[in-house]
Amino acid sequence: MTAGLDASALPQQLLNGLMFGAIYALVALGYTMVYGVLKLINFAHGEVFMVGTYTALFVSWQMGYFQGAPGMTRATSPAVLLLMLVASMIVCGLLGVAIERFAYRPMRKQARIASLITAIGVSMLLQYGGALVLPVSPPRSILEQVNPYDGNLSIPLKPRNASLAASVDKAQAEEKLAALALEQRIKQEGVSSEFDLSEEGKKIRAASQAAAQVSRDAESRYNESGMSLNVPYGQGIMFLATLGLMGLLTYLVMFTKTGRQMRAVAHDFDSASLMGINVDRIVTFTFLIGSSLAGAGAMMCATFLGTQLTSFVGVTWGVKAFVAAVLGGIGNIPGAVLGGLLIGVAETLVVWAGGSQYKDAIAFVILIFVLLVKPGGLLGSAKVEKV
Amino acid sequence: MKFWAVRFGSIGLAVLVSFGIGMIAQGSSGTVSRLLALAGLYVTLAVSLNLINGITGQFSIGHAAFYQVGSYTAAFLASILLSRGVISNLGTPIPWVLVAVATSLVTAGIAGLFIGLPSLRLRGDYLAIVTLGFGEILRIVIQNTPQLGGSYGINSPKAFVVPYVWMLTFLCVGVCRNLLQTAHGLSFLSVREDEVASSAMGVNVTRVKVAAFVIGSAFAGAAGALLTFNEGFINVNSFTMDVSFIILTMVVLGGTGSVTGSIVAALTLFILPEVLRDAPAMPLNAVLGTLAGIALLVGTIRLAMDHKGLGRSIWMPKTYIGIGIAVAGGIVVSVLANCLPALANRTIPSAELRMVIFSAVLVIMMLLRPQGIFGVRELGLKSFFRRANA
Amino acid sequence: MPDPILSLQNATIQFGGLVAVDNVTFDINPGELFGLIGPNGAGKTTCFNLVTGVYKPTSGNILFKGKVINGIPPHKVAKLGIARTFQNIRLFGALSVLDNVVIGGFLRNQTNIFASMAYLPGAIRETERLRDQAMALLEVMDLADEANGRASDLPYGKQRRLEIARAMATQPDLLLLDEPAAGMNPQESEDLMNTVRKLRDDFGKTVLLIEHDMKFVMNLCERIVVLDHGEEIARGVPVEIRSHPEVIKAYLGEAC
Ligand SMILES: Nc1ncnc2c1ncn2[C@@H]1O[C@H](COP(=O)(O)OP(=O)(O)OP(=O)(O)O)[C@@H](O)[C@H]1O
Ligand SMILES: [Mg+2]
Repeated sequence: MTAGLDASALPQQLLNGLMFGAIYALVALGYTMVYGVLKLINFAHGEVFMVGTYTALFVSWQMGYFQGAPGMTRATSPAVLLLMLVASMIVCGLLGVAIERFAYRPMRKQARIASLITAIGVSMLLQYGGALVLPVSPPRSILEQVNPYDGNLSIPLKPRNASLAASVDKAQAEEKLAALALEQRIKQEGVSSEFDLSEEGKKIRAASQAAAQVSRDAESRYNESGMSLNVPYGQGIMFLATLGLMGLLTYLVMFTKTGRQMRAVAHDFDSASLMGINVDRIVTFTFLIGSSLAGAGAMMCATFLGTQLTSFVGVTWGVKAFVAAVLGGIGNIPGAVLGGLLIGVAETLVVWAGGSQYKDAIAFVILIFVLLVKPGGLLGSAKVEKV
Repeated sequence: MKFWAVRFGSIGLAVLVSFGIGMIAQGSSGTVSRLLALAGLYVTLAVSLNLINGITGQFSIGHAAFYQVGSYTAAFLASILLSRGVISNLGTPIPWVLVAVATSLVTAGIAGLFIGLPSLRLRGDYLAIVTLGFGEILRIVIQNTPQLGGSYGINSPKAFVVPYVWMLTFLCVGVCRNLLQTAHGLSFLSVREDEVASSAMGVNVTRVKVAAFVIGSAFAGAAGALLTFNEGFINVNSFTMDVSFIILTMVVLGGTGSVTGSIVAALTLFILPEVLRDAPAMPLNAVLGTLAGIALLVGTIRLAMDHKGLGRSIWMPKTYIGIGIAVAGGIVVSVLANCLPALANRTIPSAELRMVIFSAVLVIMMLLRPQGIFGVRELGLKSFFRRANA
Repeated sequence: MPDPILSLQNATIQFGGLVAVDNVTFDINPGELFGLIGPNGAGKTTCFNLVTGVYKPTSGNILFKGKVINGIPPHKVAKLGIARTFQNIRLFGALSVLDNVVIGGFLRNQTNIFASMAYLPGAIRETERLRDQAMALLEVMDLADEANGRASDLPYGKQRRLEIARAMATQPDLLLLDEPAAGMNPQESEDLMNTVRKLRDDFGKTVLLIEHDMKFVMNLCERIVVLDHGEEIARGVPVEIRSHPEVIKAYLGEAC
């Protein structure tokens, strides 16, 4: 292929983008839910995510999947994964609740910017405090040790061109012939081919190499004539789990009593409390749900994407997820999902187009343009102030 | 006549003090000299952000970006001068430093104009994320621009800029103070208070917002230029989100809108981590125990403050119980920490500790005094600083 | 007949499907005390928003001193000589009472921002002048004692008066008052009535006011236009309005 854009890789890239985007979306949900009820940018959310990734790592270690543990082969137990997921969700959920209770609730009556600074403080405390006690994991560690789902699911999109198959066969046959000739020659002369400097020897060697090249070309042309999507099993499972969690959240918010109360609080905090809703309970619940979703995202990110873990891992993921939430319209749950998926896809597209060094900037570029056109985000509506 | 005497007298005094600080810096070690320069820069940054955030009410949380624009403008200019042979590697002569500062003032001001424009459409948190995003985009673009040193960074010939740093600081504080003394400053405050009412009263809200962004970022840019010559080497790591957050924290901790508050908070928050840099290494379990103890203490004080009837004083029997709980809790945590094999017998170099303590202090200060050190008041000097709030 | 200072000519504005102001036409003469009344949601405040440039009319024209001012931004409208108060008080709460009024006078400021940043004598004099003017207005509005207090600390009735003082500071020819007596007790509203009359008699302002307090409107205004569902349903002098069947129906209909 030439250096230009490889169109045949596009569907695969889009798919990868969606997978990454799903994690952004999970984390973005936490930002958006908290913003919805408290109008607070929970800067510590990224650090909750970070704690989630480490919870997954530590659980995997506890289960014996220690780096380089003797006799350790790739695990095959989905139960371990489930345990990691549940543990991450619980730990993150509780951490989120604790942060709200001890750092944000005392600030609730203060100016919003005071809460924001507190959030920044908590976030930095967890980052730098984490750096004191947490190990830096080797990249891909959990992925290689724990993920039992090796291999890819290959989904053919377009069958390969059958007429090309014949040419592949032909080229391969010729390659074999040429190789045979070379082999015979080596046997005859009793010298290794590299040292065979006679004209004849050179010719045979060149012919063999050329045939091999032709055969390789034919094969790749044949392969590229079709198209298929490859999904690593792990990522596929991750994507499905993400969808499942989002479904669960939708049910929770739309069809349960608590969800209804949550929406009431988001709509108007003061009126909701006047109407007899226990807002503290709802806020706690919101942090619990939002943070445990971040925990789920963290576990999957650590396990299936092979991210290197440091105590600062939450910064990038957190900021991007936050951008996703704003992009979709902060406070808006479907918006967060849409924003997350969009950013995931945009990032892989940038990499695909050869701008991998700009991958981390694209989210912000999109955000700025969207906000200039639609100041309330994609699905949100900018509040018009009534005069 | 008296007016001009006072005016030139105070300008003269400011210049004199600046050179005085410069002389102290020259007479002391390189570290102290560097700290004196950085302290002035941080005051400038905090006061200039206060103009945008505290006085005009535009929620900008990416101030480091303008600092960066200024810093890189100066570095780029220096690299051109260097390649033309105008200046040598030995150092940048002060006139050229001043040229660079002026240029940076302009480029950062222009950057401020561009970021100010979205503020016409975006409010509150949406504007905040855009300002943050601008900084991130800038960082990534610079990292990929070889002319600006890419991700490695860029060298510039050093210069002794401490006096000029402080002159800039005085200038920035003076401009903000002057503005607040006049009706113009009130129009900035009115935009913070209520945009709709301001425009109904004939205030051109657009112009005010853009002016605040341009002035605030121009000062940050000038500060950046001086940073370049003070350090001799800059890279994108000097302008991360954390730096923006620290500047923002200085503004809020000083009391939003209070110029003197910004100054004091900037000095405190700047000096704190620097002092900690030289602290000895400490055992990890002791650190964790202390942190836990402080957290418990703050929690109990906070509870006491929230409790009805206990009023303002935090010194009451419950507080002593709280201190008891805190000490006990701290000891328990440090003992527990020593029982965990992963954490036992580790010591922490102070360099790693400083940001932990910094953020812990930040959270504690916010919890105990959310309205900022001085609230919205100006500190003393009432006749000099007009209050941004009644 | 003098030329009208303000004319609405078939002014109409639509928010989505809702026609908030529908083909409203009236003229106000210089020096008049003019009332705009109607039940809740009739579109009165929206009329103010149209006149002051907060919204642009969907169709129709608004003329001030004979010039079309549709779509001119609010701060320019203020400069032309129209000032308003707000139904839901919008003071600069954290600022002092005096500073609120100084800001009102700021639009006639002659100095530029650089003079202020450098604190040049011109800027200082200008600020002094605005402060003196503000103080004088506070006297007129009976707020001088509170000049240095926080605006948001004032009692409700005084906040409404401060809104008027702030509007007066812009030196308008036309003053728009949106429910100035709302929330006032009878004594306060009596005082306010006298003050508004004084603004017209002594300062020569033309006043257009919205008010639900019928006694206030009937006693103060010389002419009245009644809106309901965005449309004009009646106009005339107070006695005519009081007994107008449409008006009674609109108000009673609302009560049911
Ligand atoms: N920006 C807007 N967007 C949508 N609808 C609006 C907007 N502004 C006003 N309306 C609607 O226009 C109608 C008229 O509102 P307006 O505020 O003018 O009423 P009003 O006569 O002042 O009533 P009140 O006596 O309650 O103050 C109302 O139904 C209101 O909801
Ligand atoms: Mg109204």
